[in-house]
Amino acid sequence: MLDGGRSALHRRARIVAAIVGSGATAGIGALLNRLCRLAVDEMTLSGCTVVLMSQTVQMGTFGSVEGGAGPRAATLAELQFALGEGPCIQACASSMPVLVPDLAVEAAGRWPMFAPAAVEAGIRAEFSLPLSVGPRGIGTFDLCRDEPGMLTGEQLADAFTAADIACDAVLSLPETFGNADLARLLDGTGADRLVVHQATGMIAAQLDENVSNALARLRAAGFETGRSIYDIARDVVARRVRFDG
Amino acid sequence: MAEVSSTEASGTEACGTESESREALLVHSFVRLADTLADDFDVVEFLHGLSVDSVRILGAHTAGVMLADQRGSLRLIASSEERTQTLDLFEIQGDKGPCADAFGSGRTVQASADEGRIRWPEFAPVASQAGFRVVCAVPLQVHRHVIGALNLFRGTDERFSDSDLEIAQAMAQIATIALIQERALRQQTLLAEQLERALRSRIVIEQAKGMLAEYLKVSVDDAFQLLRVYARSHNRKLTAVATGVVDREIRSSEFC
Repeated sequence: MLDGGRSALHRRARIVAAIVGSGATAGIGALLNRLCRLAVDEMTLSGCTVVLMSQTVQMGTFGSVEGGAGPRAATLAELQFALGEGPCIQACASSMPVLVPDLAVEAAGRWPMFAPAAVEAGIRAEFSLPLSVGPRGIGTFDLCRDEPGMLTGEQLADAFTAADIACDAVLSLPETFGNADLARLLDGTGADRLVVHQATGMIAAQLDENVSNALARLRAAGFETGRSIYDIARDVVARRVRFDG
Repeated sequence: MAEVSSTEASGTEACGTESESREALLVHSFVRLADTLADDFDVVEFLHGLSVDSVRILGAHTAGVMLADQRGSLRLIASSEERTQTLDLFEIQGDKGPCADAFGSGRTVQASADEGRIRWPEFAPVASQAGFRVVCAVPLQVHRHVIGALNLFRGTDERFSDSDLEIAQAMAQIATIALIQERALRQQTLLAEQLERALRSRIVIEQAKGMLAEYLKVSVDDAFQLLRVYARSHNRKLTAVATGVVDREIRSSEFC
């Protein structure tokens, strides 16, 4: 599973290729739907959703649910917002993954209200991966199962990669875009290098923006110029390029 | 380990003094590596400490720690020196280099510049250009779980001795035990969460470095030092300070 960065890039490219649609243009909602459906098909899940939340998570408020595959997956998120607790709320607020292979165990644990309600609704496992580029999440990539049990290492790697793709898509894709451009829009080459995060911080300071929007601007610049975001990031850190000019 | 100290004890007096100071450093390092019970344990700070100790104790010029990222890559979490050029070198070899080999095999890997050119044609020339003649990677593992690798570079042709490597392996093992809570070794859930936490801490620190570099007109390398000094003088954890900067709860003027 882990044999260097190339396999990580291949994994990402494979998932992006699988969610490229057949039409000429695509929208973000349709794309996230396809991502969720792919996850459900490949990981023996009962549901998958991309849950978007406001930056300052207020219990009970909810941005939107996109791409629910299976009605109960959407119910699961609604349940958490109604009760003000649960894996997806925790994952978004902490910007850390929350993996729960058996919700029944959590009835006496982290989520005394949500866990029994989820089990009642027939859901036994939930895996919430944050969509985030910094200390605060903008949402989660949420997987659920009817049966208890952990994801395999491969499935987990796919899930984390899909969450990264969902995050990039939500942050940086325009309203509509050409399907042909999708692979390029979501290209991950060099995107995980430390200099990209340094540049993100610099751009955030230049624009007086949060880091999520700063990274979105960096990715957009990459798409507009045809350069990799790694190259642009190096220019930003070397102060050859500014974003407030 | 016992064999190593008996060999050193039979050396000259000068060597004896040297080995004593090395032993003192080692004991100090082991105590520190094992002291992770504090509930606000900071993984980047901890691995920075491991890197700095490795340089001192093992006679490396630079050391860094890479951890598995759950997606199929190794990612740099900390290094003994945080110069951008050095960070780049670690990151390049994450793809194909000594760390990936040590991680994949669970065995310590060592190579000279010439050997490296054959094994890692992309990485080795970059390492040579940076002035490194010997590269080494020690897996971070407990039992059969490998979670990453400790990477050591030397600027001379002298290879790391068997006793150096034994010590490196012991340090790596203690660090792994401290890093990954014991129950995480039995639960893939916790292991994945903890490794992801380390990775995300590092990302936030890089973002904070960038913000400070821009606000204070300093280099990103200097920004890292400012973060560390601030964390130490305010008795806060590095990741918490970085998060405060990114959230704009700590103003950049406080770093002047």
